[in-house]
Amino acid sequence: MTALLEVEGLVAGYGQVSVLQGLDLHVNEGEVAVILGANGAGKTTTMRAISGMIQRKGNVTFQGQSIVRTAPNDIVRLGIAQVPQGRGTFTDLSVADNLRAGAFTRKGDVDADIQEWYGVFPRLRERRDQKAGSLSGGEQQMLAIARALMSRPKLLLCDEPSLGLAPIITQELFQVLGRLNAERGLSILVVEQNANLAVQIAHSVFVLETGSIVASGTAAEIAADDAVRKAYLGY
Amino acid sequence: MTDFLQYVINGLAKGSVYSLLALGLVVIYRGTGHLNFAQGEMALFATFGTLWMYSQGLQLWAALIITALLSFLGGGVIEFGLMRPAGKKSPLAVVVVAIGLFQGLNALSGLVYKGSADGLHFPSLFPNGTNDFYRIGGTCKGSVCTGGVVWRYQDIGTLVTVLVLTALLFLLFQKTKVGLAMRMVANNPDSAKLVGVSTNRILMMSWGLSSAVGVVGGTVFAGITANINLFLMFQVFLLASAAATLGGLDSPGGAVIGGLSLGVVESLVENYPKHWWFGDYIGQSTAIAVAFVIILAVLLVKPSGLFGSSRVERV
Repeated sequence: MTALLEVEGLVAGYGQVSVLQGLDLHVNEGEVAVILGANGAGKTTTMRAISGMIQRKGNVTFQGQSIVRTAPNDIVRLGIAQVPQGRGTFTDLSVADNLRAGAFTRKGDVDADIQEWYGVFPRLRERRDQKAGSLSGGEQQMLAIARALMSRPKLLLCDEPSLGLAPIITQELFQVLGRLNAERGLSILVVEQNANLAVQIAHSVFVLETGSIVASGTAAEIAADDAVRKAYLGY
Repeated sequence: MTDFLQYVINGLAKGSVYSLLALGLVVIYRGTGHLNFAQGEMALFATFGTLWMYSQGLQLWAALIITALLSFLGGGVIEFGLMRPAGKKSPLAVVVVAIGLFQGLNALSGLVYKGSADGLHFPSLFPNGTNDFYRIGGTCKGSVCTGGVVWRYQDIGTLVTVLVLTALLFLLFQKTKVGLAMRMVANNPDSAKLVGVSTNRILMMSWGLSSAVGVVGGTVFAGITANINLFLMFQVFLLASAAATLGGLDSPGGAVIGGLSLGVVESLVENYPKHWWFGDYIGQSTAIAVAFVIILAVLLVKPSGLFGSSRVERV
């Protein structure tokens, strides 16, 4: 198994404050990796550091190539797409334009892809001419994922997709992520507070506390770890 | 009625100039959220450049196209060299730099092009002889016509220029990939980066585009007044920013409608009272005051302007 994304000794933060204190993790090709962590553990910072949105130090290697000095718009071109926290849809743009925006890095016709994701997310087709800002939270999350997929990424980063969504919608969302991985072999790195659902589709799990990984292993191993199970899975 | 139409037509010409500058303001505002205080003086400096090229023997249209292209580059350089470094410090720094640019470009226009307060003669882009007009209505005795509404070719040309440029900008924003990227950066710069847009490059292009539109406005306006001087753009900029605010700072169509209606209101208030007893007390300054009162009233009811987007967001 080769690691698609390899992160070693990642240090990142905002201004003078480092949130991440030497973080290590990896995502294998074709797998779903989940980062669990409480509020303020550094989950979003990790995602933003990987996609290049904030200053970072350490090693970040994607497909054997270091991307620690690569600008975010070039990282997308290499094949990493991020669904930011709070979805980050272009609220003033129509649903269709949001999807076109997702394919910004690609050349040529993208209509076939748009149709394909309308097939996966039929609600988006119904609302294709509506402004994204008028969609419900769940629909916006679907749109954000579809938009990220429009760039045909090799690795999808999802930052707390369940945030602010009803439990039933969250469940649906993780089913979709699981299918994308199982049927299309898409590698996914998800950050979540909603551990139960995330662990169900995960191959490997990392537990993040105050800026570094305190436990990691396969989903089964983590679920068997008493301390982690009590703290994050709640049983 | 004839008078009324005549005043409207005159107003549309001046309003077209406000619209052009307002368009430039909107293009930058959408990308950065800043009102570019130097817009008018950037246009002034470039318009002096057009005149210089014309004086070197170039056709006026050719000179305008070349200056518009150079302005595009110049606008990009200003964004890259001045606004971006300033913006990294604080948003207020951008305002200060823009005001500095305003002063600097005005002084530079005087220095480089020998621009002065009295001004230099400026040629018109459109045929502007004594007989270059349409007469709508009026009465004719043989070949001599009088009365009716006179619509000068120059005023028609100005209006058409505005409408064509607006249509082109609309196509750019709605139908091209660069336009899509501009809309993305305007709406959510972080997400724009995440889908692969180089936001810096887009901002440079916005400044370039705005400067290019600005010099068209400057050249048209100098043509209408047949004169270019160092104060040419002061009032135009003031009214253009008012027009953009009226139309909605993020709406190109709004900027045009705002500019045109401001021009018409100005012309009506300035000229109409001449028929009435208090006409002697009304002049251009009253007209501008009335225009601003109307804007104030509109903004009280609709703070985002007539066509500006008040953001729709559900969480």
